[in-house]
Amino acid sequence: MDAGLLQQMLLGALLGLSVYLPLRCGQLSLASPGFYAIGGTIAALLSTRLPALGGASATYPISSVLLEMGLAAALTGAIAAAIGSVVLRLRGIYLAIATIALVEILRVITLNLAITGGALGIFGIPQPFNGPEGYAFFTAALLALVCWLCDRLERTRPGLAMAAIRDDELAAASQGIDTAQIKLLAFVLSAVVAGITGVVAAHFLNSWNAKLGNFDASITTLAFVVLGGSRTWLGPVLGGLLLTALPEVLRPVGDLRLIVFGLVILLGPLLFPQGLISPERLQSLGRLWPGPKRLGRQAP
Amino acid sequence: MTAPLLALDGLSCRFGGLVAVGQVSFAVQPGEIFGLLGPNGAGKTTLFNLISGITPPSGGSVHWRGSTITGLPSHRIARLGIARTFQNLRLFGSLSCLENVLVGLHKRSRQPLIPALLGNGLFRRRQAQLEEEALALLRLLDLEPWAKQRAASLAYGDRRRLEIARALATGPELLLLDEPAAGLNPREKQELSALIRSIREQFNLSVLIIEHHVPLMMELCDRLAVLNFGERIALGTPEQVRRDPAVIEAYLGTSR
Ligand SMILES: Nc1ncnc2c1ncn2[C@@H]1O[C@H](COP(=O)(O)OP(=O)(O)OP(=O)(O)O)[C@@H](O)[C@H]1O
Ligand SMILES: [Mg+2]
Repeated sequence: MDAGLLQQMLLGALLGLSVYLPLRCGQLSLASPGFYAIGGTIAALLSTRLPALGGASATYPISSVLLEMGLAAALTGAIAAAIGSVVLRLRGIYLAIATIALVEILRVITLNLAITGGALGIFGIPQPFNGPEGYAFFTAALLALVCWLCDRLERTRPGLAMAAIRDDELAAASQGIDTAQIKLLAFVLSAVVAGITGVVAAHFLNSWNAKLGNFDASITTLAFVVLGGSRTWLGPVLGGLLLTALPEVLRPVGDLRLIVFGLVILLGPLLFPQGLISPERLQSLGRLWPGPKRLGRQAP
Repeated sequence: MTAPLLALDGLSCRFGGLVAVGQVSFAVQPGEIFGLLGPNGAGKTTLFNLISGITPPSGGSVHWRGSTITGLPSHRIARLGIARTFQNLRLFGSLSCLENVLVGLHKRSRQPLIPALLGNGLFRRRQAQLEEEALALLRLLDLEPWAKQRAASLAYGDRRRLEIARALATGPELLLLDEPAAGLNPREKQELSALIRSIREQFNLSVLIIEHHVPLMMELCDRLAVLNFGERIALGTPEQVRRDPAVIEAYLGTSR
């Protein structure tokens, strides 16, 4: 497979996980592309404007990328904590609308600031790897780390509390769960995952502009989770990988691909209302093949 | 006399022009089974919502062991030791019975971060301990065989008992039961009555119970309050309440 496509798929999987985290506690937030854009902008700005990071050398140091990721995580986390404590009081579709507005506001700001290069964006972002293979390795490792953290989250107390809130928020609060705190945790983690994904994406794409975090991106990333399933982390990963690959794989059929893509997004949820991956389906798979049994267990 | 566990002082709740609860006062003593009777729409469930912090009162106050808890959010109230069940069953439908009870254990299931991240022996031992505790509660309510089943798939009576198991898991000193016998057959009602008594002994708690089945309430409760149109019209032992003319007119008189 083309390493460039693989890299895009891995980025899609990471964004899927970002949308999944709030959704797992029943919060339909579409803010992920906004935080993704913040991460990308941080990476683009720092690596092109701060010579100390090593932008002039032939290969940009990985340590500088990691530093950008750390900064992006801190900043997106802090912004999410501040915004979330207000926005998460909204429920259902109202939260979705508020987060779309947030993404739009960020886009318009990026578009109008001189430092972010306006509509053209920032070019010539230095490359830490010589080709897409290096990116794919790096991103695969990052994805593995995030998946592992999500898996631990699902098997521990906050994960169970998230599932309880998704099923019935009022009843969850009546069991002593600080629902506002748990929802905020999910929202902040979601923002951090999107932010660090943006950093990697900015380097990979070589240029960064305001269009990368827009409403279309919100809907596409939501489709990852709707198709893959929002009950366990494997769902959005699969959804992100599949739906990022699909338009490329379908390129030979020409314009028809948009129709096929639309059909998949339409038929997926119709045929699999819970998404492709659900704990029950993993369990029945596990009975056939003892390997992945652990994946589905205890993932409410 | 010891200080009351729970005391309501002139508690009121209005929905627009409707007074759902009007100036209700009474106190629940430690170890007591206290009944709440009243016709449909009398404001009983609303009173539970006021006590458990789900609905903010429009007047009056709630006291827990002498200090006021009026207006606290419901998770804080739950952590203080007031647990409740819901008249219209609010289980976590997609979770297993065991997980439902584990959610009830939330307050006590905190684990240190590093072992939880690693999933090491320390974490697993503690997790096994919590699951054993949850299983013991399921056993007590005859639900153990369904431990791994989704709560939504249970029969109605089993779901009612699962609500009680989950509430007990929070480690309450006061258990609010909202029509726990609704939809149960006469034999199940009798068993429930015995169960509530044994729970009181075993967990050393007080019970505030709403129930329409008057004979069951008369036999089960130490004291009763009767609500009608949001107002407390009677308070006393089952014998006193039975003879109260206001009660006979408002409630028992309708011979339901
Ligand atoms: N959230 C609400 N908004 C508006 N009115 C409400 C609300 N909750 C309850 N009410 C009204 O308050 C009154 C008391 O309702 P409540 O549910 O407390 O009665 P109840 O005694 O529990 O009755 P039942 O025996 O039928 O359960 C009713 O008239 C009801 O319609
Ligand atoms: Mg009621």
